[in-house]
Amino acid sequence: MTPRRPRYALTAVAVALAVVLLFPLYWMIVTAVSPTADVLSREPALVPAWSRLDGAAFATVLARKPLLTWLANSVAVTLGATALSLVIAALAGYSLSRFRTPLQQWTGFTLLLTKMLPGSLIVIPFFIMASTFHLIDSLFALMLANAAVGVPFATWLLKGFFDGIPRELEQAAMLDGCDHLGAFVRIVVPLARPGLAACAIYLAILSWSDFVFARTLINDQSRWTITTGLVSFIGEHGVDWPALMAAGVISLAPMVVLFVLLEPFLVSGMTAGSQR
Amino acid sequence: MRRASPLARAERRFAYALLAPAVIAVAGLIAWPMYLIVSISFREGRSLNFLALRSRPLGLGNYRVVLGDPATWHSVLVSLVYTAGTLAPAFLIGLATALLLNQSFPLRRWLRSAMLLPWAVPGVMVSVVFLWMFDASFGVVNYLLRVTGIATSDIAWYSTESTALFAVIVPTIWKAYPFFTLTLLAAMQSIPGHLYEAAEVDGATAWQRFANVTWPGIRGPAVLALVLNGLWTFREFDIIYAATGGGPAKATETLGLRAYNEAFGYFYMGRAAVIGVLMLALALCAVLLARRALRKEFFR
Repeated sequence: MTPRRPRYALTAVAVALAVVLLFPLYWMIVTAVSPTADVLSREPALVPAWSRLDGAAFATVLARKPLLTWLANSVAVTLGATALSLVIAALAGYSLSRFRTPLQQWTGFTLLLTKMLPGSLIVIPFFIMASTFHLIDSLFALMLANAAVGVPFATWLLKGFFDGIPRELEQAAMLDGCDHLGAFVRIVVPLARPGLAACAIYLAILSWSDFVFARTLINDQSRWTITTGLVSFIGEHGVDWPALMAAGVISLAPMVVLFVLLEPFLVSGMTAGSQR
Repeated sequence: MRRASPLARAERRFAYALLAPAVIAVAGLIAWPMYLIVSISFREGRSLNFLALRSRPLGLGNYRVVLGDPATWHSVLVSLVYTAGTLAPAFLIGLATALLLNQSFPLRRWLRSAMLLPWAVPGVMVSVVFLWMFDASFGVVNYLLRVTGIATSDIAWYSTESTALFAVIVPTIWKAYPFFTLTLLAAMQSIPGHLYEAAEVDGATAWQRFANVTWPGIRGPAVLALVLNGLWTFREFDIIYAATGGGPAKATETLGLRAYNEAFGYFYMGRAAVIGVLMLALALCAVLLARRALRKEFFR
């Protein structure tokens, strides 16, 4: 086949589609940087004039709400939960990929079962456990809860990924005197990096998005996460939309940066996972 | 083989040791919650204190109350409409975007990130943004409808019984489609390129290439993604809770919302648990219906 010329027509279609699909995020940003008078207008400008934009809403929201504290809490919980469930899932995924155990047949079924109970019900036993061990208001308990939720899907994804790595590589390392765990850590884990990155971003999104656990397990406002914080705006009389949207932009920024940087791993990791 | 060799036994121990943390996590996440929910569903009465529930009398009262309540069956219906109303459009958007992103064109990498982005937005955040866009007086949706002449008066989307369900389905679609894009795109990229070349040599049209090469290659992952996303939507809580809390007049009260309201609103833990059992039963039925297609994906 002859090399094709770059297909700008497809780019144009994709840009048009992306504009429509991302309009909600665009509108969030526009609202956040517009003065209240423009926001509460019967005829809002779809593309606001550059000179009208200001950052007042950001200043307001940062002064009125402990947004940065909530962000820090979310970051701590997300990092902890992601690391913990990634380790657990990598070990389990590797075991399922390499050894035949009776548990094998249950993996798929278990994955589906975790998706069946609503978060609003799963939270009840976690609440009981946290109350029993006096872990209400503990970010550590929140981290454990979030870590548990991600394990089944991450295990399943990583098992597929490990299946694609030839056993011969570890066996060669073991002949050279590595024990099995050493061979796994030194040979398999580096090869599985794209799959691990894909899992990490999936797990991070899961923890960052969590609302039910945070809402139920944390009462103390200084330990809220960003999602509980955002919802607290809605209950107020007369929502301050620019301030709420500014809070939304601030809370979304870290996740968007992480997502755009790691997204290629997500696609390649899932692709490798589905090639068996 | 009657006795495993010491080496095989060591391997077996190693295999289980690696699995142990995951088994503990799953036991804490699934086995224990399920046991607890089933056992709470038989405890009658209401209690502010979860721990005191175990001393309440056992009985089938909760089942009688919940299953005899028309509101429960209303919630079943709302849940089904919500799930189906989300899945079909989200799947079509996901398929269209995946087909597009499977082509090569300039800037594809950035446009792919952009189109997958809604997935990374927390459910309550999605809800907040759409709450603003669908605002009755100052929302951009009503503005666009007025400008284009589609509507002459403002619609209070989230406080009108007939529109509220639609208005919570739209943000759910928005959050759900990228998962389809991602899984379908991944499946498409693992279809060998020579199949397309062969189809081209045979003079296949674009539609024939899709029907005979692409679709067979993505069918399995598509069914799996439909089931996973379907279960996710069926039990979705965050988006509806933040947008309407189940109202107005229970118009958006899915089973997940109803369970939460019974448990944390009225403290009828037993009744909430019965709703949980009902949800499990319905979800299991759906999975059993799809089990043929799932078998290939899961139990290889």
